[in-house]
Amino acid sequence: METITTILTNAFHVLVFPGLLFAAVVGLLLAGLDRKLLARMQRRIGPPLLQPFYDFFKLMGKETIIPHEANRKAFLIAPVLGFVSLIVMMLFIPIFGYSPFSTNADLIVILYLLTIPAVALIVGGSASGSPYAGIGISREMVTMMAYELPLVIVLLTVAKKVGGDELVFSMQKIGDWQAMNGLLISHWSLIPAAIAFLLVIPAEVGTQPFDVAEAETEICEGPLVEYSGAPLAMFKLNTAIKMFVMTALFTFLFLGGIDTGIIALNALIFVAICAVVTVLCMTLIHAITARLKIEHLFKFYWTFVSALAAISLILVWLGL
Amino acid sequence: MISVQHFPVIAVMGLFLCAFLVEIFGAKNKFIRNTIVLIAAAGAFALIASLIKPVLLNGEIISYWMGNWEPVSGYAIGIGYEIDALNMFFALLVVTTILLAAIYSIKYMARDHHLGHYYTLFLMLSGSVLGLVLTGDIFNMFVMIEIMTFASVALTAFRNNKFGALEAGFKYLIIGSIGSSMTLAGIALLYAQCHTLNMAQISAALTNSLTPTTVLAFALMFAGFGVKSYIVPFHAPAAEAYMTAPTSISMVFSGMVNKAGVYGMIRLVYVIFRAMDLAPLQLILATFGTVTMFIGVTMALAQHDFKRLLAFHSISQIGYVITAIGLGTVLGLEAGLFHAMNHTLFKGLLFLTAGAVLYAAGTTDLDKLGGLSKKMPKTTVCFLIGAFSISGLPPFNGFASKWMIYQATYEKAATTGNFAYAFVTIVALVVSVMTLASFIKVTQAVFFGQLPENLKDVREVPLLMRVPMWIMSVLCVLSGVFYNVVEKYLLTPAANAAFNVTNYIDKMMGDGTAAAAGVTNITVDGATLSLWNPILWLVLFAIVLIAVCIVVLTGENTRGRVLAKTENDSEDGKYATFFGGEKSTHSHVAGSDLFWGFKHDFKGYFKFIQGMHSGVVSDYALWAVVATALIVVLMFVFVH
Repeated sequence: METITTILTNAFHVLVFPGLLFAAVVGLLLAGLDRKLLARMQRRIGPPLLQPFYDFFKLMGKETIIPHEANRKAFLIAPVLGFVSLIVMMLFIPIFGYSPFSTNADLIVILYLLTIPAVALIVGGSASGSPYAGIGISREMVTMMAYELPLVIVLLTVAKKVGGDELVFSMQKIGDWQAMNGLLISHWSLIPAAIAFLLVIPAEVGTQPFDVAEAETEICEGPLVEYSGAPLAMFKLNTAIKMFVMTALFTFLFLGGIDTGIIALNALIFVAICAVVTVLCMTLIHAITARLKIEHLFKFYWTFVSALAAISLILVWLGL
Repeated sequence: MISVQHFPVIAVMGLFLCAFLVEIFGAKNKFIRNTIVLIAAAGAFALIASLIKPVLLNGEIISYWMGNWEPVSGYAIGIGYEIDALNMFFALLVVTTILLAAIYSIKYMARDHHLGHYYTLFLMLSGSVLGLVLTGDIFNMFVMIEIMTFASVALTAFRNNKFGALEAGFKYLIIGSIGSSMTLAGIALLYAQCHTLNMAQISAALTNSLTPTTVLAFALMFAGFGVKSYIVPFHAPAAEAYMTAPTSISMVFSGMVNKAGVYGMIRLVYVIFRAMDLAPLQLILATFGTVTMFIGVTMALAQHDFKRLLAFHSISQIGYVITAIGLGTVLGLEAGLFHAMNHTLFKGLLFLTAGAVLYAAGTTDLDKLGGLSKKMPKTTVCFLIGAFSISGLPPFNGFASKWMIYQATYEKAATTGNFAYAFVTIVALVVSVMTLASFIKVTQAVFFGQLPENLKDVREVPLLMRVPMWIMSVLCVLSGVFYNVVEKYLLTPAANAAFNVTNYIDKMMGDGTAAAAGVTNITVDGATLSLWNPILWLVLFAIVLIAVCIVVLTGENTRGRVLAKTENDSEDGKYATFFGGEKSTHSHVAGSDLFWGFKHDFKGYFKFIQGMHSGVVSDYALWAVVATALIVVLMFVFVH
């Protein structure tokens, strides 16, 4: 009886909350919010909030066409691979103290899991055999190298701040520490790191001005150019979930100590903060900037953003 | 019944003996030749594997005096073999590599001539590396290093009809000889000081008595083993040797020859000199390691040849190992050993897939390959496993060991308060991402992308070549998922052996020697690893995967329609500029140049670093000598 309960609870965690269903719904909602608010900022009316859902289901029903030059298996597996790793990542990020598996995760694991969706996109694009995809994956790869440096520094900063003289990479402990000592964002030495992380989010998700890899006006969505039907729907869903995962990671790392005692209310506040972060670092920046060139993107991340993160790291090492 | 203490020496002698038997009896007959080689390799494997129980599980130390020349009044006069968990660990890596390379060679080398010579050299190399890691005598170690170097040189130049093979062999010879000479000079100085060549006795004699002479000896041997493990700046000839040697030998180079250098380094700093509690030395090792991993990976990003690219990654990964063992902590040493083992597995695997590509397609030039996944699906799967492992994606083994390395370096930074180690952690993490990017490039250039017209008839490689690849793939996954088992039965005993020197000395020189010399053990707390649970991760992954598959399969249009090939599909060459290595007139970026943005922003660095790799052997020799001088100065300034 007990084992059945355990299995059922875990299945619930994986499939409903905070796993598959929850992540997908919130992710698509965030994507819808992003599109709606972007349109309002550009004085358009914009699509309804639920438009990403309609898009997703419509694409699911469309025919899947596989190009002659493509490697069939890799072409079809790639989107699923990215999706699965995103869901697993969602399970490891605690939602204000509620975390089914977070004792088994640490920052390094999260860091590596974050690369898998990008790799899936690259493998898929590469397997499609299209010249546009070839350029797209090249840019995606350089983007990945670009944002990884500041991301690494931010995560190490958080670990140092929380750990002090001992080593703490554990997600659980970061949450506990914030519950005790106040939110990390309220420590002024971490504010540059928080800004750096906010700037990493749009590159990781791939929104303008950092969407060089998918630049639809010049290389026809790069890696996605040959995708259609269900695999394309999957990739669109991945982007939406990635929005949620990245903002959730930010919320957890820098605002992780909030606890009202009621799980539902916690989750609601969590999602609300994620929405605010989405608007702040994706919609707003999207509305006021134009796409960068890849070499400028790389330079931006390895100088400006990394410097912000490094300032925090040094401040934290000085004990501030 | 031969007792277990004879096994190591029989394994080494068997390999050397068979090296000559192959040439005498097998020069003409294929069957006899293969039989002798396989018996030698499998025999060595079986003999070493049978030592797992006494050495690793029961914690015994096996000692063996050749010709029964036991120590006389406290002085070792004969050559002794001494096997503790540390050299057992490396011996296991060596015999596994020998066995798999021997199986692979049968088909892979079948098209070459003078195979008798090839197998003679191969078995000489195998025997020398095995002897090197098993011996307890420092001059015997030098002899093995010499045999290893010259067998490697000859094997590098084995395909001397190929462009650059002789040149690569020549460079290897020069730099390798410089390394050997440094080691010999160091040994001579030690012998003058301690009047013995036995490592255990030297270790006891050197306790609390570092004189300028021994510091010089230490610096010279440090440089010597640095050459053998190809750390920057001694690495340049290694890249060419890996590239031009037959691929089975490239795998042997990365699987055990540079591990021999790493082993020598660990033995030197942890056991002979027991110098790892010196903070400056830790920093020196970590610096060399960090520079090695960064330069290795950036050079790899600029390569256009599959094997040369792998060679630079090999250098880069050894940088991780040297960094980790340089930390001087239990977690660090375990991480370094684990990464050394994983490097043997995944880099061996990657070299074997490169060999398969060379065998099937006839080239390893990344600009001329493409789309092979359709023709060689099994090789592609093996390659992807190797690529994911080396890039450190969970749950493969590279992730587990790199994860330990990050923990160890950052812990070191936190406990010592030294910001330099935090910087090392950052570099290590970023290098890991660059490794991933570099392997995506290979995946795209070799296995995906478009299939060139001249490769339409490529076929999958024979079964005998695939078997070693599969074995290594399985080991890559298993050692990643069950890293706790590896840690418990392999890493912890080996790390303990390196830290607890008294047992090593007492076993060889008689009980009480260590205590009399004032040698004390460094107390070892087990490393704590608990946060990463790959099995849980895999279960979660599987559940989600199943759920997704159910959803996808219930959809009706998921099978997908494959488009028919149309007339103007890629035939007229108008897309060639997007895939080829050549720049076209209207574009400043070549299609295969996947890191253009990165290289553009770092063009100063790349220009400098590629200029440094001039290909001129006198330049490389100059680096080696300058680096040795630098090491000597560093040792005198900081360590003494």
